[in-house]
Amino acid sequence: MKVRLRAVLSLPLILLLAGSVRLADAADLKNAIRNLYGGQGILLEPLPLPFPSQESRFQASSLQGLDQLNSQLTSAIGVPSFNSSVTGFTFDIERGVPVRTTESLGTLLTERATTLGARKFDLTFTYTRVNFTKLQGKDLKDLELIFLRGDANGNGILDTSGPFSFESDVIRAKLSVDLTEDIFALIATYGLTSEWDVGFVVPVTHIRLIAKAHAAIFDQFGNPGGTKFGDIPIHRFGPNSSQPDASGGGDETGLGDIILRTKYNFLRHYDDLIPDMAFLVELKLPTGNEERLLGTGGTNVTGLLVASRTYAQWFTPHVNLGYEIDTKDTRQNTVRYALGFDARLLPELTLAAGLIGRAKPDGSGTGDHIVDLSLGVKWNPVKSLILRTNVQIPLDKNSGLRADFIPTVGIEYIF
Amino acid sequence: MPILTTRIVRLLSTVWLLGAVASFPLPGEAANVVALKGADVDVYEEALDGFKSVENRAQVSEYDMEGDLQRGKRFLARLKSGPKPDLILAIGIWALQVVVEEIRDIPVVFAMVLNPSTVIGHEARNITGASMNVPIEQQIALLKKASPQVRRIGAVYDPSKTGFLVKQAERIARDQGVRLVSKAIASPKDSVAALDAMQGEIDALWILPDVTVLAPESVQYMLLFSFRNRIPLLGLSENQARMGALFGLSFGSGRDIGIQAGEMANEILSGRRAEEIPFTTARRLKLTVNLRTAGKLGLQVPKEILDRADVVIR
Repeated sequence: MKVRLRAVLSLPLILLLAGSVRLADAADLKNAIRNLYGGQGILLEPLPLPFPSQESRFQASSLQGLDQLNSQLTSAIGVPSFNSSVTGFTFDIERGVPVRTTESLGTLLTERATTLGARKFDLTFTYTRVNFTKLQGKDLKDLELIFLRGDANGNGILDTSGPFSFESDVIRAKLSVDLTEDIFALIATYGLTSEWDVGFVVPVTHIRLIAKAHAAIFDQFGNPGGTKFGDIPIHRFGPNSSQPDASGGGDETGLGDIILRTKYNFLRHYDDLIPDMAFLVELKLPTGNEERLLGTGGTNVTGLLVASRTYAQWFTPHVNLGYEIDTKDTRQNTVRYALGFDARLLPELTLAAGLIGRAKPDGSGTGDHIVDLSLGVKWNPVKSLILRTNVQIPLDKNSGLRADFIPTVGIEYIF
Repeated sequence: MPILTTRIVRLLSTVWLLGAVASFPLPGEAANVVALKGADVDVYEEALDGFKSVENRAQVSEYDMEGDLQRGKRFLARLKSGPKPDLILAIGIWALQVVVEEIRDIPVVFAMVLNPSTVIGHEARNITGASMNVPIEQQIALLKKASPQVRRIGAVYDPSKTGFLVKQAERIARDQGVRLVSKAIASPKDSVAALDAMQGEIDALWILPDVTVLAPESVQYMLLFSFRNRIPLLGLSENQARMGALFGLSFGSGRDIGIQAGEMANEILSGRRAEEIPFTTARRLKLTVNLRTAGKLGLQVPKEILDRADVVIR
């Protein structure tokens, strides 16, 4: 057992070493979109004398627009939930024999009050693929940012007529963002007592963020090229300006944010009505490099109250309710909730379904309340081995950064 | 000739003594104990902990059968082919089953086994241990204390499973001045008729640790019988008390049963033979009292019982 444990516990290190590959051109992946046009925003071609220079007129708004999009995208990237199964034997006191736990193999992404059991060790590897497709309901392959220019005559408005009507010229930037995340997670849970579990999640993440942009200048009526003096466009790209076509980003692979977790099942089989209850505490550590988009850069603490109850030895509804504190940015504090069930369809097959929600009471407006449907199965083909697969389907794609669906597959072994 | 006989006897005695000494660990030498667990369950782990806490001189190697009898047999076959351990600890009935079949020449101590005599034949002289059975004396005494009216205690049983227990119980009941009214059944479906036949004949009902009697429909009918006839029902667990039995009486601690087994192992490793040590029943018990049921039965549970109860359902 000790040798096996040593072997499995060294796996995170192997994964970490194997996964800490850093590809070229991926430095500061977190700011890939912000830096699309060189990090100083869009600069235009200087006009020939005697015209006053217009090259930096769109700099502020383009920087602000790109920065906002950058923040919206990168702050929403996260690590999905993880948990461990419930299986093995229970003891039938009346008959004096162990009974294989067949009521259910447990949930997939949410939690039940039941713990693993004293001295049991659960080791799970999961792979999750997240292909983000929407930001606030807009297609990531077809985003558009509109940059306004600065006020030229100092009257406080952008003139739409007269000699300063060129103030209403805009730059439209069409962006296509390819953002995917592959998360390999090692999840270990150990039952300290029959009611108390401790564990950790070590994610190794491969993230790919490629952004391509094409910027073009339009006048207030939508005519390409913008306002002109005679034949000379006031705003234009040229050899000395930012280029209208830009691209950036890259790939990063490495250790993500490690999660430490503990669950205490403080109420079990109390009576016929009151469900089993547990309290779960999670501590997410800033082990993932924030600049490389592998982590959030902050420490998060979550407290979660879990209630569940098994009926007829096969059907277990559960409720989770908790609060996650982001110690780095309290506006990211999140109310977490889940409602669902797991059901034993066959002794070796469990179906799990649930709604998983996250709400940020003081959020920035992007993805402040997201709700996903989670559907999955667990299959126990041989004794302590469990294969798991799950799909998470966003129910509201108009909120935050979302994928069409998030598949997860995993293999789990209970020692 | 008598001199020759005396010498042969002396020689044989010396060989026997040397063999006996060689077969037990010398002072200061750690005994080699193999602990075979029937499955990975909390109470078995607790029992193993308890065992180790008193058998702290021994080197204990653990093996989990994972609920698979064939796996247990294969392990024992390998064990027999190598150096023999000084003692085998069989935790749980599955472990005991395979040990009974496979091991004849190594002392065996079992723990956490219910009704061990149903598994161990009379010919097995190398086995003793700590059962998880609740002492019959205490069960009958509890029912007697529950109500002074209790003079006849009913029990349904399958002779092939708990016939031995009923025989003991009849004797113990007599000693305590009550009568055991028992009805034998062969299958769970017989239990309804057996119980109906006891109507008006008993003042209390006792659920035996008998798999035939423990079929859900039988237990349900016993609960119904208890309420209809307003007689106390003694169940086997907190769970049965929660279902409506007046009392649930079970073993109190897996660890304590492990300690009992460890004490026996100590005696064996000190040279005592397993067959000289009788099986034990649980020392520490867990009593659950359902006062809601007491109310429905019109019973006042004596303070003495409530004071010793571990769980009181109000």
